[in-house]
Parts: sequence; structure tokens; C-alpha cells
Amino acid sequence: MRALDIKKLSVQYHTERGVHRALRDMDLYVEEGEITGIVGESGSGKTTAMLAVMGLLDKNSTVRSEKVTVCGEPPVPGVNIAMVFQDPQSCLNPTVKIGRQITETIRARRHCGRREARDRAVELLDMVGIGDGKKRMRQYPFELSGGMRQRVVIAIALACEPKLIIADEPTTALDAAVQAQILRLLKKIVEETGTALLLVSHDLGVTASLCQRVYVMHEGKIVESGTVEDVFYDPQDGYTRQLLSSAKQKRKNCGSPENQVLFRMEHVTKEYNTRDGIRDISLDFCRGEVFALAGESGSGKTTLARVLTGILKEDKGVLYYKGQPLDQKQRDRSRNKVQMVFQDPYASLNPCLTAGQVLEEALRAADIRDGSQRRRMGTVPARDNAAEKQSRSARRRDRKAEREARRKTICDMLKRVGLTEEYMEKYPSELSGGQRQRIGIARALIVRPELLICDEALSSLDAVTQEQILDLLLDIQREQGIACLFISHDMHVIRRISSRMGVMYGGRLVESGRTKEICSDPWHPYTKQLLEAVPEADPLRARRIRSLPLRKRTADKEQTGKGCPFAGECGYAMSCCTEQEPETYTFGERAVSCFLYAEKYSGRRDRDYIMTSQI
Amino acid sequence: MLRYTLKRILTGILALFVLACVTFFLVRLMPGSPFQTGSVSEQVVEAVEREYGLDRPLPEQFMTYMGNLLRGDLGVSYEDPGVKVTDIIGRTWRITASLGVPALILAILAGTFFGILRAVSRRRIVRETISAVGMILAGIPGFAVAILLLLLFSVQLRLLPASGLLTPAHYILPVTSLAVYPAAVITRLTGNALEAEMEKDYVLFARAKGLGRKRIIFTHALKNAWRPVLNYIGPASAFLLTGSFVVESIFTIPGIGREFVNSITNRDYTLIMGLTVFMGAVVIGVNLVTDLLGAWLDPAVRRAYQEEAG
Repeated sequence: MRALDIKKLSVQYHTERGVHRALRDMDLYVEEGEITGIVGESGSGKTTAMLAVMGLLDKNSTVRSEKVTVCGEPPVPGVNIAMVFQDPQSCLNPTVKIGRQITETIRARRHCGRREARDRAVELLDMVGIGDGKKRMRQYPFELSGGMRQRVVIAIALACEPKLIIADEPTTALDAAVQAQILRLLKKIVEETGTALLLVSHDLGVTASLCQRVYVMHEGKIVESGTVEDVFYDPQDGYTRQLLSSAKQKRKNCGSPENQVLFRMEHVTKEYNTRDGIRDISLDFCRGEVFALAGESGSGKTTLARVLTGILKEDKGVLYYKGQPLDQKQRDRSRNKVQMVFQDPYASLNPCLTAGQVLEEALRAADIRDGSQRRRMGTVPARDNAAEKQSRSARRRDRKAEREARRKTICDMLKRVGLTEEYMEKYPSELSGGQRQRIGIARALIVRPELLICDEALSSLDAVTQEQILDLLLDIQREQGIACLFISHDMHVIRRISSRMGVMYGGRLVESGRTKEICSDPWHPYTKQLLEAVPEADPLRARRIRSLPLRKRTADKEQTGKGCPFAGECGYAMSCCTEQEPETYTFGERAVSCFLYAEKYSGRRDRDYIMTSQI
Repeated sequence: MLRYTLKRILTGILALFVLACVTFFLVRLMPGSPFQTGSVSEQVVEAVEREYGLDRPLPEQFMTYMGNLLRGDLGVSYEDPGVKVTDIIGRTWRITASLGVPALILAILAGTFFGILRAVSRRRIVRETISAVGMILAGIPGFAVAILLLLLFSVQLRLLPASGLLTPAHYILPVTSLAVYPAAVITRLTGNALEAEMEKDYVLFARAKGLGRKRIIFTHALKNAWRPVLNYIGPASAFLLTGSFVVESIFTIPGIGREFVNSITNRDYTLIMGLTVFMGAVVIGVNLVTDLLGAWLDPAVRRAYQEEAG
């Protein structure tokens, strides 16, 4: 008996613009106890298909099918079929305690009493790797980390005791280390409970690491299916090949760094009461190079970016621009020189402004800043009466010309980022994620920055769009010779595009150096863990996802406050690691902040000893 | 949270003080004297004013009044020297509150009920009717509602009494006319908020885990939809508890609103002051309570507060 059997499933949306066929004659099955994957870019109809199976689509859609059965019966959500959604933050009710959200599911399923439901909930939490279930059940979602929340969501799915769990992008919102843990958890659950799992993902690595069979979807149709090995190693369909090649593609050619140091941070510290601060960070950014910053969420990557842009003021340390220390006044002036592309193209564009207006605003803001600067420096002559008398029409003409020039700049910029002039009049809601991110890039580039910061600029996009945006970014970067700080938790991307990289953990830069060297031979234990946690789009290699087990880290971190931030999780931790903070030890271009590389703790070395990885 | 509470209370007291100062001087800026009526001679007016201390310089009067205010003494009414202002407030406010509190409860209950219905009813006709009627009711001014109700139920149908507050039946019309506007607004707020919540992912997830519709609405969506409603309930209850002059006049109810307007026409300085300060205190107090309640209902804020308290 098949856990899920779908024959000729079609979905149509009825929108104001007419009928949109989101899904066409989809055939799909999942055997009992099997993990099956669906891959495809966003908008290919994956989620629509899953919601149609669950019967959760909105009223503006028609679903037709010859057959949709779960173990021979019609699917009933919460009874024989359950779903895990992408974002655990938004699919848990923020004002209801975790415990209640689990027990109500159990009670709806089993029609049992409160006590039984509570016991079962603790059991389920234990199963998904949350040990202190009793305590957790009294907490609200905001008190848990992202990974914890996703575990809770999985526990809720398990509470339905389903024959089939549909996991829709279950790890997309999580960082690499947590992703590996969740993937292992899903695998374990399938092995232990015999539940079938349908894994929907745009990440080929994730799919390769878990699934036995895979379906490839494109524009509402299944274009290829088969075992993971067949599809990944011998793709038949052109689209599958394109997907795979974009995931496996080798290093991109990024501009060769010139040796002119553009920005330099020295011992920069920015502390918060809670977290996300940065401590004692020293970095250089050279003209024409792509510097990548990796690390889990909350490690301070974004804080670093904000200090660089001047949105935040550093507590300690000095920033240099072309060798000159930046004080507040110069900072305002140099703000154009650093621009940022934000992570979420949906939230970072004002929904009430058209693309053209967004760009014009950026341009005008930059002009005003330049203007005030010019006036201060006295190059603009004070207006005298004669100038005042100069006919108004001349000034009006000036202004008109200026507007025209601005319009032209905007058009050029739009073309540069691969959009056409028509997009000027469009509002963000009319654009796709990729198009919005293009607007975001255009907004950053239009003021001609010298350093472009991309803060997870790709992570909310699907694989194919990611590839396009990445190409675009690198093209522009190379062409204009600007420096680029690329913040990402995706090691694939970092490996491919950056010439140098840094790894952050707990607000410290634990390792930095040439990307090639770090990726092939990580020195810091955390870097090693990070690199190993990422599944590759290669089934045989990805099956061995390893992730170091979580050591009760929160407790450790809060308790000591001193010592190496990674000591609580590190398999190589020595007693000194928890007592004092390691300095940064530099070996040529490689800098690492770990006692394994300190002479004091790992022995004196020869003068001509070439340092290698100690782990 | 503790600090926030303290801060709010202190600013409330400050606001009350400013209010008292402003009214004190504004009242005295009004032309005429409380004792100047047509038939009284100048000498008598002056004599009485001297007795009440109104001939003293303004700053001195002000200091005396503020001193008394701190002791909770609002003075006696100029119009009716035998009666203390506090007694008048006590008497009239009891009547006003006996209308305002039921009206508030009615408005909240009806508003929430229709709001939920408007957001989640499967029947389009129900949703549209509630929206339309709500819009109309929110648009009609209070006195028009009162007069219409009066015409219909006591003049035409002779079902309900028109004035006074003798029996429970007397309460029905004034309470209803007070509650109509807030109920309409609450309906709209609840409806909109709930509609927005029903679109959210956690509702989809709740459906995916097999919960019934009622469950989803009452334990999930409604729990997140109260905020705009609560923000409105603050000002609304302040309005209802300080009495509506219009409704009280139409139904000839001796409430605090009517007393207030009368005191102004009489230039009854102490009564005006007393009523203003009292109503100010009620408005500030009610808003403080709803703000704190709003913060308390947010689990994140509550947790922070509990941690702070140990």
C-alpha cells in the first residue's frame, strides 16, 4: 500500500487577471516508510501541490484529480497526513504556550484527557530531541531558538500520528548547523516510526542527503522522477541538468583583489546586553575583492555590517577609510561609499513606492549629502542678488534637466540589473522575489559605492534565481572594481565566489584567510563543523551528513561569559579554553583565534615550521 | 515593566496637575462672576466674593485651591453652598456609571460577537450586512440614535419609558444609545483584526494539524486579534464613564455630564474644577489600566516582567 498516491492532480487559481494553472496533471507516489523528495524553484507549484493534497488551498482555486489517497483512504489533515512548514516562527501561534499547541493536537487526534495528552507531549518532545519537555511546554515560541521551534513543529506533526508527513522546506529558514540536526532528526523519525516523508525543497543538497526517490518540478509539471542516484548522476531532462549544474558549479571568477586597502577595521567592538554583538574584530577590505563572512545566525555578522555602514556606532576600535581614521563627520560623508543589499527583498522595499521612486529617493539622498558637503567646503558660491535676479525659468530649466538626468541614471541602472524601463512604474507587490532583489541591488549601486555589503542577499531566493542574482552581482562587482562583503550562511556560495573569507562565532572572528585554503583545510574547530554540516548536491556524499552533537550550550555560554565562545561545543576544548579568551594568532594570511595555535598551549615550534591544521 | 508602570503613573499625575492648572485659569478667564445675576446689587456680589476669597489675587487663590486639592478637598458648590463638590460627584457619577458600565459591557460583547461573525461567517450575506450596518451605525451621531430610539420605542410603540431611571426598564434605551457607536467600532476592529489573523501561517498550520474551525478561531486567532480592540476600549470606556451630556439630557438623567454643563452655565468655579479634575482622573486612570493590560497580555512583556520580579 502506498503512503501517498496521486494521479493527475491539477490546480487552477482564479485570479483577477484570469485563470492560472498552477499545477498540471501531477502523478506522484510515496511508498510506506520512504523518504521522497520534490525539488524545483519557487513558483514551480511544489507548495500548491502539497496544500492541495492537504485540502488547505484557498477558495479561489479549483482542484481536480483522478485519485489522491493516503494508504488507500482520502487524506484528512491531522489524522493520516501532517505537514511541517517552512518558517517555524510564523506557523506557531506566538501567544499560545508550546505545551498547549502540542496537546490540543493530541487531544483532537486521540480524543483523550488533558493528562494523557500532556504525558504524550513530553514523550514527543523527547523524541524530537527536546529533553526538558516539561519546562519547554510552559514556554512561548519566542523563548525558543529557530531550531527548537522547528523541532516543536515536527513534534506537533508527529502528534497527529500520520501515515505521511509532508515537510515543506523544513530547513530553509535555519542555518547550516541546525539544518543538519533537523535533517538527521527527520531521518531518525522515519526510521523509528515508519512514517513516510515527502520532503519539498529547493535545496538539492538537502534532498540528496535524505531522499531515496526524487521528483523534479518545473512550472507546475513534473519533468523528471526516479531514484536520487539516477536523477542526480544521470539527469535526462534539460531543466534538471540546469538545476544540478547551478548547484554544483565550480568557482566563479571573481575579480582579482588589488592591494589597495579600502576599509580597515581595527579591534572594533559593539556590545549589546543580550547577544548579536561583535568583539574585537580586525579586518581589511581591499578594492575589487569579494570577502565572505560565514557563521550561524546571531553570530554578529549583521552587526558587523551595520557598523561598517555607519548605521551603528562602534563602542571601541577604529575604522579606517583609505588609511584615514573615520570620525563621525567623515562618516556621514563616506556613507555613500558603503551600501547594503538586504536579506529580505519583501520587507526591505517600501510597498507604497514604485521601483523608480525607490531608486530616485536613493539618488536624491546621495545628492543632498554631496550638496551639503559642497556647500560646507565653499565651492558653491553664496547666492548674491544678481544670481537671485537670474530668471526663474532658468532655474526651472536646470531642475528639469536634473530630473531628466536622474531619470536616465535610473533607467540605465535598471537595465544594468537586468530589468527594463517599464519596471520603473511597478510596485514591489507586482514583482517576484528575484526582481525585488534586483531592485535592492540597483538601489545600492545607484549611488556608486566603493564597498557593497550583501547581507544574506540570496538566502530567501530559490536556487535558479540565486544563480542569476549571483551572476549579476559578480558581473557588476568585477566591472566596477568595487569591494564586496558577502555575508551568508551558505558555504556553497561562499566557496564559489569569494577570494577571502572570515568565520564568525559568538561575536568573534574565529578564523579568516583565503577561501580556498579555509574550505579545503579548516583550522578552527567551528569552521570544520560548519563545513561538514552542509550537504552537497551529491547523494553519496550528502548521505553522510555529520553534525557535532549539541552540547548544552546555552547554559555554558551564560554561565561563564569569558573564555572562547565556542568552548562549550568544541570537541578539542582544553581547560584554558573556558578560562580565558584566545587571542588571534596570525600565520601569513591566515588568522585563527584558537588556543590550538598558541605557542603557549600547543608547544613552541621551529622558526621555519609551517603551521598546518591542528585538528 | 515595573519601571514602565511607575513612569506611566507619574506622567498620569503630571498630566492631571497640568489639567487642574489650565482649567483653574481658564475658568477665571470666563467673563462674569458666579454670583452676578440680574437682581443682585454690586455691593452684595462683592461681599459674597470676599466671603469666598474671590477678591484675592489669582496666585493666592491658586495656591489655596491646589493645597486643598492635595488633601482631597474640592470645596463647596457656589451655586448650592450647603453641598460639597465631592458629594455632587459621588451622587451624579454613580448614576452615570450605572449607565456607562452596562453600556461598555454591551458594546464589547455585541462588538466582539458581530466582529467575529463578520470575519469568519461562511455566508456572504451575513458578512456584508454586518459591515454595512456597522458602517451606518458608526456614522450616525449619538443624539440622533438616542432620539430615534426614543421616538420608536417610547413614543410610537410605547414599550419603554422615555425618561428617568426608576426601573430596570428605564435603563434599556439610554444604555443602548450609549453602546451603539462603540459597538459598531469594536465590530469593525475585531472583524478586521480577525480577518488578518486568519490569513496567517499559524492558522494554516492549525488547520493542517486537524483542529476544528471553532478551535482555531477561539483559541488561536482571537488571542492575537485583541490588540486594536483593547486600544480602542481605553478611550471608549473613558467616554462612557465620564457621561454623555447629550444622552443624559435627552433621557433627563441627572448624571455627571449634565451636571458638568450646568456648572459651566452657572459659573460654579469649584464645581467645574472638581468635575474636570475628576473626569481627568478617570480618563487617565482608564487609559493607564488598558495600556498596562495590553502590555500584560503580550506574553513577551509578561515574561520580562516575571523575570524582573524574580
